[in-house]
Amino acid sequence: MENKQHTPPRLARRFLLAFLRHDLAEEVQGDLDEKFLTMLRKATPARAKLQYWYQVLHYVRPFAIRKSTTSTNHYAMFRNYFKIGWRNLAKQKMYSFVKIGGFALGIAACLLIALFIRDELSYDLHYADGNRIYRVVEVFTEKGETDRGVWMEAPFAAAVKADFPEIEKAGRYNSGELFGAGSNQIRRDDQMDNTYEEGFVFADQELLEILKVPMVYGNLAHCLDQPNTMVITKSKADKYFPGENPVGQLMVVNDYTKQPYKIGGVIADFPANSHFNFQFIITMKEREFWNGEQNYWGATNYPTYLLLRPGTDVKQLEEKLLKVTEKYLLPLWIEQGRSDAKQLAKNIQYELQPIANVHLRNAGIGDPVPTHGDIRFVWLFGVIAAFILVIACINFINLSTAKSANRAKEVGLRKTVGSFRSNIINQFLIESLLFSFLSFALGLLLAWLFLPYFNVLASKSLSFPWGEWWLAPVMLVSCVLIGLLAGLYPSFYLSSFKPIQVLKGNLSRGSKNAATRSVLVVFQFTTSIILIISTFVIYRQVRYILTKDVGFDKEQVLLLQGTNTLGDKLQTLKDELLQLADVKSISASDYLPINGTKRNGNMFWLEGRNKIDKSVGGQFWQVDHDYVKTMGLKLAAGRDFSRDMASDSSAVIINQKMAKELGLTDPIGKRMMNYEVFNIIGVVEDFNFDSFRSDISPLVLKLGISPNIISVKLNAKDVTTTLASIETVWKRVVPHQPIRYSFLDESFSRMYDDVQRMGHIFTTFAVLAIIVACLGLFALSAFMIEQRGKEISIRLVLGASLENIFRLLTVNFVKLVLISIVIAAPVAWYMMDKWLQDFTYKTELSWDVFVLGGVMAVVIALITISYQAIRAGLANPAASLRSE
Amino acid sequence: MIETRLGEFEEVILLLVGILGAEAYAFNIAEEFESQAGRPVSIGAVHSTLTRLEEKGFLTSQMGESTAERGGRRKRIYTITAYGRKTLSAARDFRIALWKQFPGFATGKLT
Repeated sequence: MENKQHTPPRLARRFLLAFLRHDLAEEVQGDLDEKFLTMLRKATPARAKLQYWYQVLHYVRPFAIRKSTTSTNHYAMFRNYFKIGWRNLAKQKMYSFVKIGGFALGIAACLLIALFIRDELSYDLHYADGNRIYRVVEVFTEKGETDRGVWMEAPFAAAVKADFPEIEKAGRYNSGELFGAGSNQIRRDDQMDNTYEEGFVFADQELLEILKVPMVYGNLAHCLDQPNTMVITKSKADKYFPGENPVGQLMVVNDYTKQPYKIGGVIADFPANSHFNFQFIITMKEREFWNGEQNYWGATNYPTYLLLRPGTDVKQLEEKLLKVTEKYLLPLWIEQGRSDAKQLAKNIQYELQPIANVHLRNAGIGDPVPTHGDIRFVWLFGVIAAFILVIACINFINLSTAKSANRAKEVGLRKTVGSFRSNIINQFLIESLLFSFLSFALGLLLAWLFLPYFNVLASKSLSFPWGEWWLAPVMLVSCVLIGLLAGLYPSFYLSSFKPIQVLKGNLSRGSKNAATRSVLVVFQFTTSIILIISTFVIYRQVRYILTKDVGFDKEQVLLLQGTNTLGDKLQTLKDELLQLADVKSISASDYLPINGTKRNGNMFWLEGRNKIDKSVGGQFWQVDHDYVKTMGLKLAAGRDFSRDMASDSSAVIINQKMAKELGLTDPIGKRMMNYEVFNIIGVVEDFNFDSFRSDISPLVLKLGISPNIISVKLNAKDVTTTLASIETVWKRVVPHQPIRYSFLDESFSRMYDDVQRMGHIFTTFAVLAIIVACLGLFALSAFMIEQRGKEISIRLVLGASLENIFRLLTVNFVKLVLISIVIAAPVAWYMMDKWLQDFTYKTELSWDVFVLGGVMAVVIALITISYQAIRAGLANPAASLRSE
Repeated sequence: MIETRLGEFEEVILLLVGILGAEAYAFNIAEEFESQAGRPVSIGAVHSTLTRLEEKGFLTSQMGESTAERGGRRKRIYTITAYGRKTLSAARDFRIALWKQFPGFATGKLT
């Protein structure tokens, strides 16, 4: 007919088919075509087409529109996908375990590190006026070397507050143990028994006001403004005054009943994420540690905090602070007769450090807080966490793709019996989501289980954020995201198979991504090897520190603490202890070669020199007659103190370093001075009384009383029994005070807790990284061997030995690990070299650490691949070839 | 019962199905409606009503033969059921009863 060439508009038809129920397609299209033909007979083709569109649009009605996916049929299919996914998971238990477990491990590690980082970053953010609170840092530059410290002079705070209107408040504290801060014995004045407590500090009322510490009892504006008052924390109030308001009560420190402290207020405990950890804050009101101390610009003992008025330009204020030196310090130096006074004044600058930066950006600043974090470690941790997570994610994806090739036949069959491509994609995505969900659940569980150990490792008290709003959404979104990501590739790849080809067995399994996979392996192993080598170096340094000859004998020395309250009973205790068979000698001295014991700073000159001459700075320790013996110090020249020589009261023993600094080659009999003049009667060999991070400094030992700690040198085979008898003696002599003791070698190794902690952290991460990396390798080798299954079978049939096959399959991986070693070695060398520079006394970086790390990596990698390689070599080639 | 209610358009379509007999499929019914009622209707609207009537049980349907005009596609032929017939006649009786009660028309004009 003449209208044959006219057809209904194609777009309209496609649109119709897009929404129309499948079962209506035939009749509706037929009806519309018939209508179209009728129209063509009656009207123009254009009108007919328009009419067709009209008819199509009028089919957009509920009855004709295809139902969305909520039909029961789809639900059934989804259930089926879950079932198939679950069966797959259960069928290949080891593979599923490796895949889910590996990913869960990565998630758990990442979560824990995230908690750690969040905690580190949260330090000191909670003060009401936090953005206006600054800590004063003094910068001293000499000969290109810069020292930073936070100890300011006693009058500094008041002076700057008076001189600079920008400063609204200025507060200080003093945590010097020499002055009585730190640890003490304390009791209620109506009780007898002392308790040992830490966290004593002297501070200004104004410091509490700057920090706006929340009060439980008392008034913040007046809690420390009376002499001899003290503020304690809530937990201490609960301990000593359970259920009552302790304000106005009296407490006695170190049995000094003449001057008990009145409690002026109770503050809430400082949170764990604050760099303050005070428990007992004693007022500075009307307190002087020596005559004129509060107005003396020659001693620095006070960390000082400023509250600036809103809108203050910090940079400008820092420059204005330079005037402090001119106005207060210069006159003092000139009065002291220092010839270099003017130059000295130029060397001093002040920086204002925001309080929020104190915890993490403290590198190079000397301050009294031993537990600072380090922003570099936060970054390092973050990078490690990111690495582990990325490695784990890619592993997860890799394992999914590697194993999915086995499912080709299933896909073919599903397509043959009527699955659409979208169904196949859905199926694989759902399987992937199932795996991802299980991994996340397990990861959360692992993180929760490991949190206590992680807390020990990082010396934190983190809690799991179950109740926090972000956890569920973040976990869920990441879970779905990674599940989809991991599922996308296999699902699109597999769903593209042509059923006929798959079922015929014509599937070509090309390894398109071989290069990417190799890069991944190198990346994983480089990370792992760096961590392994670092771990070795750190442990070597720890061992070096703990076994190095420190110049004193730290074995078998028991330290009895808190003996300052004994008074005249001290001698009784010493005498009674000496009666014990296993006690060799006893010395009472607070100055010990470990952290946390007393230190001071003094200036020394040779006798006869003028005080303008260059002095030698050094430690000046009060010890008793038995100190040298008890500590096992070695005399290089001269003699020890003797009870028979009355003149020894003005005698000193110096260390070799002091002799050298004073320029004495034969010091015995020479005289030196600080405020008095002393005879030098002996020289001890240098011993490490400070951390290995610093040089041994000059030291002078003098007879004196300093009875906080009694050192007992034992000669005991059975330490437990000896300890028991010592306790018995203690209880008899000091019934009101519990015995508190430690061992010198333990206290010594505790000085290096941070180094050891770092060792543990690195070990943990190194182990984790290598496990995750090996999982990746495991997956990869499984994938490769599967691809080359036929090739291996043919080789076996043609006579290849297991050894041949093994070498064939492993050589490529070993190459990759070797490349990783080459990349990792210099990186690790650089990192560890920097780290070791912190120590004055350190082990050398030697090649064997790198070899050891490398060999370990290769061996671990080989073991990982071997399982697959040997299995392939031992497989019956007939099984694989039969399907041809 | 909702199922027994018959809308005006439904009634007409049901009647047209009965009139067209073996030729009662959506396109044809729509054409017939247009020529008899003198106003156009979309096939979709007719089809929608047919489906509803079938759900209510007034109609059954089965696929018929294919023709060239439809590109070889088959048509769905609708047949009125006994229940449909009964409902139609009940509807007619109801209306006549109403007409008879209408004073203006009740005086035998219609008879």
